[in-house]
Amino acid sequence: MTSDHDVIIVGTGLAGGILAGVLAEGGRRVLLLERGRALADSAIPGDHLRNHRLTLYGDNTTPEPARHPRVFIDAAGDPHTVLPHDARYQLNAFTVGGGARVWGMQAWRFHSDDFRMATRYGVPDGSSLADWPIGYADLAPFYERAEHEIGVAGDHAGTTHAPRARDFPLPPVPRSPSAEWLARGADRLGWRTFTPPLAVNTRPYLGRGACIQCAQCIGFACPTDAKNGSHNTLLPRALASGRCTLVTRAHASRIITDNSGQAIGVEYFAPTTTDSATLERRTARARTIIVSSGAIESARLLLLSASPLQPHGLGNHSDHLGRHVQGHSYPIAYGLLPPDVEPSLLGPGVSVATTQFNHGNPGIIGGAMLANDFVKLPLIFWRQSLPPDTPRWGLANKRAMRDLFRRGIDVRSPVQEIPSPDSRVALDPAVRDTFGLPVARLSGTTHPETVRTAEFMRARAEEWLRASGAERVWSWPVEKKFSAGQHQAGTCRMSADPRDGVTDPFGRVHGHDHLFVCDGSLHVTNGGFNPALTIMALAFRTGEHILASP
Amino acid sequence: MSLTPPQLTALRSLLDRIIPADDFPGALTAGTDTYVLRHLLGDCTEEAHALLLGLTQLDAETVACHGAHQTFATLLPTQQDALLADLAAARPMTPWPPQLPAAPWFHRLVELAHEGFYADPANGGNRDAASWGMLGYAPRTTPERAAP
Ligand SMILES: Cc1cc2nc3c(=O)[nH]c(=O)nc-3n(C[C@H](O)[C@H](O)[C@H](O)COP(=O)(O)OP(=O)(O)OC[C@H]3O[C@@H](n4cnc5c(N)ncnc54)[C@H](O)[C@@H]3O)c2cc1C
Ligand code: SF4
Repeated sequence: MTSDHDVIIVGTGLAGGILAGVLAEGGRRVLLLERGRALADSAIPGDHLRNHRLTLYGDNTTPEPARHPRVFIDAAGDPHTVLPHDARYQLNAFTVGGGARVWGMQAWRFHSDDFRMATRYGVPDGSSLADWPIGYADLAPFYERAEHEIGVAGDHAGTTHAPRARDFPLPPVPRSPSAEWLARGADRLGWRTFTPPLAVNTRPYLGRGACIQCAQCIGFACPTDAKNGSHNTLLPRALASGRCTLVTRAHASRIITDNSGQAIGVEYFAPTTTDSATLERRTARARTIIVSSGAIESARLLLLSASPLQPHGLGNHSDHLGRHVQGHSYPIAYGLLPPDVEPSLLGPGVSVATTQFNHGNPGIIGGAMLANDFVKLPLIFWRQSLPPDTPRWGLANKRAMRDLFRRGIDVRSPVQEIPSPDSRVALDPAVRDTFGLPVARLSGTTHPETVRTAEFMRARAEEWLRASGAERVWSWPVEKKFSAGQHQAGTCRMSADPRDGVTDPFGRVHGHDHLFVCDGSLHVTNGGFNPALTIMALAFRTGEHILASP
Repeated sequence: MSLTPPQLTALRSLLDRIIPADDFPGALTAGTDTYVLRHLLGDCTEEAHALLLGLTQLDAETVACHGAHQTFATLLPTQQDALLADLAAARPMTPWPPQLPAAPWFHRLVELAHEGFYADPANGGNRDAASWGMLGYAPRTTPERAAP
């Protein structure tokens, strides 16, 4: 085993890249393992059938998808072997930079009550709702760091759901006329709106250019590198320090532990030479090991690392590992803009939001932020956004597309889910990946309280469109289903007491001195907001904690 | 997998009714048949077989409704639309292959046609971005050169 490194990080998503930057600049020698490839923006195709917003036949980042299936257990209990482009796979993105290479960039701080859901609402039957062992104040300085070091554009005065000490480094995204129209509708309802925070260069920042408002944003790479993540900020900083080694196409297969059960290294498969198709098994050793592979794969890696001392997986001492999977239930209300409202087909698109309903809804647990949607691809509009009585083919359909494409508007809401221990990631007993390792098996479904909250938010979304003067408004009932996807979280929840979770409040796996988890896995609950800024704040915090630890 | 000439003729006529030309190009002008063919012959062979059987059945359906001298392609557009509406509503006149009954067969072709027609031109079914021009959509992903 080589021991040229102080820290090994498994995964270079938003969290892994930030950890690498903080630790390498702090003097640690870092080995970064990433199973995906390092793709230039220009190497991420603009394919409207294969991208991270619409994965009809594939996506635009995953290497060798067929070699890495997962197993999805349906409501009847039947297993299905699924590939990454299948919605049941719950794909984020496997590439250097992770999901942020193609993300929508909404960069939200959670509400302070998002960290104390059990205290505020009680614990519903059948749920594992719990408070975080930390609160908003613990994360606030790291939210601020993420906003400044990653680059978030926002409206400081308007963003009031979470106390802010410092302005955003970038001015908010421009409001489209349809967003102004929604804002006026909200005024009529007495709802306060503002321009939501997005991690986008609204002007040149940190040495990169500004967004050109193209019409192909979410799901795709950015033509001007204005889409901010760790791949274009903290990761380059890590590499520039000279103390970080990045190995791509390096797939971690096991955390190696010693006779006392402590983590001492990582086993992984990597190409024999940079471009080789042949992969070899390698091991690397370091004092500190951080698993940062996204909530599904992080849990899987800890499960795969079972040892005689920890036969159910590392950190699975109290049967929390892999459980409490959450994403967001996402109700959407659709409508048609009146013909006199000027349409907008500019990216990113999300430019009006309200946090009126994140908490304090009578008889409802939690709630969510509401915002307008990203700029839409024509095919996505055809699939999702035509009024339900529109004929699906023929001239009538074509005319409807022509008349309505520029008039479609929708409002959507990432509803805070009520976690359930039965929503879980386990190892499949039968199906294996290309390395012969058991794949992730996903099972469980939405807690009934999540459905209630989501139905409440669906009604608010419709109400907003109606008050704004939409010509027609429609939506679809919320379905019960396994939920993780791009917002996957919860599988290695943090807890003060080892009996209540997988890691301590800094992400250190209970009972382990130098093994950490850092990504959405740590989230005890996932907020009524898109989760990535919280993932980033936790990464800064865990990184600083490791630097300060003896 | 390959198509017989009658299957190819039926496919083209079918696509022409799914996305007809009007003041703007339809499926055939935009090359959507190329996209669908590429899909049937390449990407997704598992479903391709059933989809091709359906094209043959479409002509059988035509014969059952309009007599032996007709194929789907020789019907008038209004007749074609009426026949397709019956298939879409799961009211075929003839027995369809059990692995892909009439309505799901038709809906899948409707989907494939629109995929090709509204996707990016590189996928082959939206030549010269014809559908995007009709909608007023342009990705504009080429950074403009900075002013000198
Ligand atoms: C299209 C899209 C839009 C999105 N929009 C938003 C948004 O607007 N706002 C928001 O908050 N969030 C958004 N997200 C979600 C956001 O991208 C994720 O929350 C974020 O990327 C999570 O960061 P992470 O570091 O935890 O994990 P990831 O970004 O998933 O990174 C994990 C990395 O680990 C690697 N990895 C996994 N297993 C292994 C292994 N065994 N060995 C080595 N490497 C491994 C993966 O390849 C990956 O690169 C979006 C995601 C997508 C795909
Ligand atoms: S809308 Fe802006 S941030 Fe999004 S991809 Fe286009 S240029 Fe980049």
